Amino acid sequence: MSVCEVQGLTRDYGKGRGVFDLSFTIDQGEVFGFLGPNGAGKTTTIRHLMGFLKPEKGCCTIRGMDCWKDRADIQEILGYIPGEMVFFDDMTGTEFLSFMAKYRKTASNERTKELLDRFELDPRGKLKKMSKGMRQKVGIVAAFMHDPEVLILDEPTSGLDPLMQNRFIELVLEEKSRGKTILMSSHMFEEVERTCDRVAIIKNGRLVAMDKVEALKAAQARKYIITLENERAAAAFAGEELRVVKVSQNQVTVIVQNNIKELISIMNRYPVTNIVTPNQSLEEIFMHYYGGEN
Amino acid sequence: MINWTLYKRGMQGSWRMLLIFAAVITMYFTVIISMFDPKLGSALNEFAKAMPELMAVVGMNPVSAELAGFLEAYLYGFIMLVFPMLFCILSSNKLISRHIDRGSMTYLLAAPVKRETVALTQMKVMATGIFALVIYATVLGIVNCEISFPGELDIGKFILLNVGTLCLQLFIGGICFLCSCVFDDSKYAVGVGAGIPTLGFVIQMMANAGKELENAKYATFFTLFDSDGIIAGQSGAIWGMIVLLAGAIVLFSTAIVVFSRKDLHI
Repeated sequence: MSVCEVQGLTRDYGKGRGVFDLSFTIDQGEVFGFLGPNGAGKTTTIRHLMGFLKPEKGCCTIRGMDCWKDRADIQEILGYIPGEMVFFDDMTGTEFLSFMAKYRKTASNERTKELLDRFELDPRGKLKKMSKGMRQKVGIVAAFMHDPEVLILDEPTSGLDPLMQNRFIELVLEEKSRGKTILMSSHMFEEVERTCDRVAIIKNGRLVAMDKVEALKAAQARKYIITLENERAAAAFAGEELRVVKVSQNQVTVIVQNNIKELISIMNRYPVTNIVTPNQSLEEIFMHYYGGEN
Repeated sequence: MINWTLYKRGMQGSWRMLLIFAAVITMYFTVIISMFDPKLGSALNEFAKAMPELMAVVGMNPVSAELAGFLEAYLYGFIMLVFPMLFCILSSNKLISRHIDRGSMTYLLAAPVKRETVALTQMKVMATGIFALVIYATVLGIVNCEISFPGELDIGKFILLNVGTLCLQLFIGGICFLCSCVFDDSKYAVGVGAGIPTLGFVIQMMANAGKELENAKYATFFTLFDSDGIIAGQSGAIWGMIVLLAGAIVLFSTAIVVFSRKDLHI
């Protein structure tokens, strides 16, 4: 059963910016990854789902309610983490969370406390003086504390340390197992890989790929930086049947697409001293979707 | 259609400002009322006779020697116009456009609260401030006069004068609030929202100043607040008040509709 539907959504900001004829649906209990380079239209789409913007063409619905007309009703069952955390001046984290609970007319102290413990957050300080990571945690707590059915998360882990990113992934998985429907925009490959059932990639406001994570991963390319004993060996290594992107002194950078065995057998014949897999952002991994001409 | 949590938050954000304005008003009222002398004519009246043009610019040209007329001339031509107006300008920006500009509006709308309710609640915060300032001035004026000059003040006329001020300030508040809802950029919201009432006030000062510029009074809504007419008991002054109040209702309603229908890039 689909919970969130976007149909032919269009908003033209001119100069090729905006979103164009975007359509997708998210099913009940599904975590849907929403990816794309900066300025691709992810946040614009989310603003439509939140009822901040009126679609020029097309429509979006959540649980059958129109995202523009029925926005206040939708918010009853929705939790939102904005791409940019902007709170009110001079409130402490505690004040903000209790303000939001009262403002929403919900009282879920148990849940709030559980979330605060989970993220090891002491919200008593002034929001203005909190670090980016701490503010992000406050935003996460505010989005989950009323136990919403549907969650819209715009880059939810930006600013979090790896430990907390992990806790967040666990939280998302738990919510998923409880049947929650989640749309998540992200640049963190691990996060998407571990949580999302399906992924949509948009670029220049248009959908360029939408599939199960496994299917997209099959087409995934990985980058390896191989250090050899000397420059001569590196030059020879670079001459092998591999996709070489860069040779600098005794280091060779290659891209491998699922044929890791081949790489290993070639490496066996060379004086390899080190091999590094740089942390790849999603942009790099899905380069063939992201890059190229418009 | 009010969200009390948001209302409380708004009041918390404006009571300091209100307190400062109330202090300024208290100071002016106390000083000016102490200068009234029913028998000899006050020092201020001497001023008005010596430099009629200058005093007229700031609306200080008494039409009557009574205490109510005295207060109208020296307090309701400048002090009670400018300070509540400043409150309108500052608070309207704080209540809507700054939240949109900064992005904190996100959290107000990412909740099951209608945009109409958000706008209406913020409007009520502003209206509460305007009412508070005018009612405070009314009580302050009456108490002050009764202590210093018992029985001298025509309380009915003085209250009517304050009702007029209230209508004018609500109208100004309506302009500021509408600008706050129309413009996404705080800069423009304040610029236009402060610009229109300020320009209106300057035009009124020009119209007061000289015969040749007198017709300029038709170019400013301040003319609708005919404080001299209220003291003189003219019915036209009452109509002016009604027009201002109706205008305020139209301005606030438009603001709420605009805010509810606009695209928000937050």
